[in-house]
Amino acid sequence: MKLKNVAAAGAIVLASALALTACSGSNNSGSSNSPKPSDTSSVDLSSLSGTITAGGSSAQANVQQAWTTAFTQQATGVKINYDKSQGSGGGVTNWLAGSYDFAGTDAALKPEQFTQAQTAPCGAAGALNIPVYLSGVGIIYKLPGDPKVKVTGQILAQIFAGKITSWNDPKLVAVNSGTTLPNLKISVVHRSDGSGTTANFTTYLSQIDPTDWTWAAGTAWPNNVGSGQQGGSGVVNTVEAGSGTIGYADQSSVGSATMADVQVGTSGSTFSTYSAAGATAAFAAAATDASQGAGDLTKKLDYTKITDASAYPIPLLSYDVLCKNFKDSTQGKLTAAYIGFIGSSEGQQVGAANAKAAPLPDSILAEIKTSLADVK
Amino acid sequence: MTESAAPRRMSAKARPSDRIFRSLSTGSAVLIMVILAGVAIFLIAKAAPAIAADWTKGDLASGTTAGHTDFWTYTGPLIWGTIWSAFIGLLMGAPVAIGIALFISHYAPRRISGVLAYLVDLLAAVPSIIFGLWGIFTIRKFLLPFQEWLNAHAGWFPLFGGTPSTTGSTMFAGGVVLAVMILPIITSITREIFLQTPRLHEEAALALGATKWETVRLAVFPYARSGMLSAILLGLGRALGETMAIAMIMSPTLLFSLRLFTDNQNSQTIAANIALNFPESNTLQRDALIGTGLMLFVISLIVNFAARFIIGRTGKTGGSKKKVPALNPTVALALDDAASPLDALHPHASSAHPEGLKPSQPEGPRA
Repeated sequence: MKLKNVAAAGAIVLASALALTACSGSNNSGSSNSPKPSDTSSVDLSSLSGTITAGGSSAQANVQQAWTTAFTQQATGVKINYDKSQGSGGGVTNWLAGSYDFAGTDAALKPEQFTQAQTAPCGAAGALNIPVYLSGVGIIYKLPGDPKVKVTGQILAQIFAGKITSWNDPKLVAVNSGTTLPNLKISVVHRSDGSGTTANFTTYLSQIDPTDWTWAAGTAWPNNVGSGQQGGSGVVNTVEAGSGTIGYADQSSVGSATMADVQVGTSGSTFSTYSAAGATAAFAAAATDASQGAGDLTKKLDYTKITDASAYPIPLLSYDVLCKNFKDSTQGKLTAAYIGFIGSSEGQQVGAANAKAAPLPDSILAEIKTSLADVK
Repeated sequence: MTESAAPRRMSAKARPSDRIFRSLSTGSAVLIMVILAGVAIFLIAKAAPAIAADWTKGDLASGTTAGHTDFWTYTGPLIWGTIWSAFIGLLMGAPVAIGIALFISHYAPRRISGVLAYLVDLLAAVPSIIFGLWGIFTIRKFLLPFQEWLNAHAGWFPLFGGTPSTTGSTMFAGGVVLAVMILPIITSITREIFLQTPRLHEEAALALGATKWETVRLAVFPYARSGMLSAILLGLGRALGETMAIAMIMSPTLLFSLRLFTDNQNSQTIAANIALNFPESNTLQRDALIGTGLMLFVISLIVNFAARFIIGRTGKTGGSKKKVPALNPTVALALDDAASPLDALHPHASSAHPEGLKPSQPEGPRA
């Protein structure tokens, strides 16, 4: 009798899943019901109407919500649906399949995806990677008495590679003169799910200390040191609940956890606490142009170039990806207006105030404006 | 009754409502087949590119699938982890579930048994994400001292060895939560079966001087054996497919490991691995994850077929015992040859004795 109920429930779930698939299928064409095409480059937001369908990076979840709220206050006729459950990979996949107007992703399109976009959703003009969200990877830890701890890139690489296993290891003691570190085992906590934060952090480790960190950078945690937890909040929660724990999380999930000061550069005695301004300075120093096509703003972060004392050494960058030529130019203008708002100093301030984002440097904002002017 | 019903049904055939309902129910039955076939075809079609692909370069060389030479080296540990975690959950959950069922059906006062049965069914309605949260915030911490103790004192035993976890995200914690999650399904099925034990079997055993426990062993368990087994296998099916609780609680690694108490040697399960890695995966990695899903589909099918097979077989061989209409107690007793096991139990008290008649007698009869 119980079994029949289970079967019935399963059938209902399947049926509704089918129905949902059908719904998302009908979205593919994009909404073409916006009546007013505005051709002027400086867009009057209140004249816009329509629906923007997007999704991807969960790191952008909070900030997209803040941007959506701020944007739709001015553009009252616009609806924006950002699906954060997809993750970066899912966002790009759906965007390539034509379901999204733009995708949020923690990694810029790879060359083969960039090429693929020229055939599938975008046509010959191709795609644009627009950096929109700058934050930082925080090194969070929990120790009895909550002392302030300093770490270097090398120490981090050795901790997360399992080579430093105790909090009173001589290397840690050396950089933390004046702080008494307990004789406590280090419990490493990392993400168990695929994550752009992991990709950023492992890239940092592999650049800053390739001798100790021998694994390739990627979205999946590569070694079996420590404990894997689901999601940024899972890592933060486990670090906070433990003792002698250390982990990493992006600023939107760090919350009230204690963050370590990280050494700027690979030598010297400059240690930096995370701040939005520090991430902005780090980005300005580390970002080098890696454009994949005209107007594309792919940036390569070279963490070893971050040497300025005001900078935070582990910035995190996230992109929105959109087509240069939309099939429906009204939809293109609408999406460009939204991304343009994100890439304005006003949008960046909204992100900083509501989602602990770091504002992108003005020079990048100017580049974003130029690139988006070509979107139609 | 049947005679009057038959012509009425004949005349009702012409009614459209009858035809509509018939086609609706037939359609539903066909739909189930179509859906199942559709799922299988989808899994195979989606998985094929990843199974055939070169895993050492391109999409599959990065992310979750990095460092594996082919599909099978990636899936092997996952299959192991799926079966192992389900087995651990079952090992802890099934005895308790059967104990609860037995208490409800045979030991508890009527009023308590009703409430308890209702509560157990209520447990089935708790979503697995709630169990996951409960596991993270309560069970992990609660089990830590026990795990550390066992690791320190019995670490030589492969299951308990390794570096003990400091966070509590262990296979054991996952197994405990799995055990709780499969409780209701096993309990409710076995309870129903226990209740169906022919009254005369039990009374006959009691009449022969069996205690309550002996009655359960001699009359209830043999009767319910295949039902218990199928309930356990259904619980196994639930445990195999459990996703969120495992994904949230257990710290996963892709390896073949028996360890229960470590942070970094817990074999990951297929379902949790898909849930954790699907969002950030690119196209071919997604195909690989769907391929692991295909393996889970196959494992579940095998488990279900095994359950059916076992039920079918025990139904035939053991059927002579159960299917005898126990109208005549002597027949039932003779077929159950209950006298001889009782003799084996109490060689010193094989003859009838008055105390044995009391069903509430907690211990074996004293001579």
